Amino acid sequence: MIASILGVGTSLFGKQQALHPSELVWRAVAEALDDAGSPDIDAVFLGTVFGAPGVAQRALHPLSIMGVPIVTVENACASGTSAFHEAVAAVKHGRYKHVLAVGVEKMTDEFVGPIVPENTDTEGRAGLALPALYAMAASRYLAVHDVTQRDLAGVAVKNHTNGSLNPRSKGRPVPSIDDVLASRMIADPLTLLQCCPLSDGAAAVVVGPSHADGDHVVGVRASVMRSGGPWDQRSDDAWGFELIRDTAAEVYEAAALGPSDFDVIECHDAFTIGEIVTTEALGLRPRGEGVALIRNGTTSLNGPMPVNPSGGLLSRGHPLGATGLAQIAEIVWQLTGRAGDRQVDNARLGLVETMGGGVSGIDGNACVIVALER
Amino acid sequence: MLRDPNNTFVFGLFNRIVVFVSELLVVYDRAMSDAIAHQSEPERPDPRPRLSPDHSSRQLRGWRCSECGVARAVHAPWCPDCGGQLLVVDFGPLGTVWSSTVVHLNIADIPAPYGLAYIDLDDGPRFLAHIDGAEEPLLVAGRVTISGINERGDIEVTSITTGHETS
Repeated sequence: MIASILGVGTSLFGKQQALHPSELVWRAVAEALDDAGSPDIDAVFLGTVFGAPGVAQRALHPLSIMGVPIVTVENACASGTSAFHEAVAAVKHGRYKHVLAVGVEKMTDEFVGPIVPENTDTEGRAGLALPALYAMAASRYLAVHDVTQRDLAGVAVKNHTNGSLNPRSKGRPVPSIDDVLASRMIADPLTLLQCCPLSDGAAAVVVGPSHADGDHVVGVRASVMRSGGPWDQRSDDAWGFELIRDTAAEVYEAAALGPSDFDVIECHDAFTIGEIVTTEALGLRPRGEGVALIRNGTTSLNGPMPVNPSGGLLSRGHPLGATGLAQIAEIVWQLTGRAGDRQVDNARLGLVETMGGGVSGIDGNACVIVALER
Repeated sequence: MLRDPNNTFVFGLFNRIVVFVSELLVVYDRAMSDAIAHQSEPERPDPRPRLSPDHSSRQLRGWRCSECGVARAVHAPWCPDCGGQLLVVDFGPLGTVWSSTVVHLNIADIPAPYGLAYIDLDDGPRFLAHIDGAEEPLLVAGRVTISGINERGDIEVTSITTGHETS
């Protein structure tokens, strides 16, 4: 064990137009501190992508978190888990005793539809919105692997089913496969219900020393962050595959565990194809065969290896900075028997994977994978 | 002027001054709002790949590493793979579709729907192209040619494979 998680907390997830970003942070941090037994916080890492300058200090000083070092971290969709990774590293190396990792995003303050791609980026300027980037992977999979549009829709049905059991997710009614396919086309072949909705939220995790003890304490066996390598004509893999695969390999080595050892997984399902490519890259199935996990129910809530029991990004939505820490909170609740109606029986080992993109030429801005153990 | 009983000259002059000042204010106001508009949308360098200066060539202006030979559609100070020197090379116009989609959302200043494809140019780099006029994605592994550049400045390709359809 390299560190412990002493407490977790989140706001509700969904459109919360009336709330200030600080109010989202207060809910998450208050719950996490209470869960952790209110230790003195020695440093804070806060993950956000579109947060205004000073978003961390603005939200934290009313909670009396002042005087200590506060650092804001941006790593696209992996900003929250990047903050967690830095908090774990700081504790592991003895720099601080108790570190707070926070993630927040008030998406409805910034966008009415999809994230506008960055116009200083080669492909962002050409109109490659994130749904289009994932749609490219989906088109490729439909063409070269044994994957159908119904398989893709099956991921959305599974995760919306899980999300309907999550009281923190302002989820939608559970759709059928036909509902998913009949929803509005966003970027061929991805329809609306295969894309994570616009959502506001915050999440927080208190990280402490590895020897910490308590009913709710969860150990961090490994945490790895990588940035992407070249993605160009030399790659036949879907965007992100190699980065996730390489990050997972480092985590498995550091944790002395393999992909089949985990009882429950939260991974980056911003779009349905994302979960399929990710489960392959994590090594749960060979490349091109990830849909088997959906078809045979392996990754369903009552299957042998549930993936995204929280409902994932597809149900919860994707407030970028908050997402990774909400994933960690879900795994902590699962490992400590506090996941309510979506509890996975006897879960002892859990995996969290977050993937951030938006820079063309590489297969990801950042991937963070964390192995947790009760 | 002093003998003007109704002060018409003075009033006329005064009116002219008022009109002149208000016109100045209008000009100033326009300049300020232009400045504000400019401030909110500053012009930035265009990072997209270009066609070679002779557009009729329908070729992408790219780079190839003089040492390891990797082709690039986007510039770098040196080869990110081996540190070698990058030489300007024109690629295309023929290539193969790696993948393709049609976006049905209005993104930035692009009206929906618009088609996109990753194209592997023959012996050249992969780059993101717009699909010339198509409302369906290009067939994966289909053949295309660079057909020009659209009004936004995006390089366009057109299918030269028969049976072009949704993959």
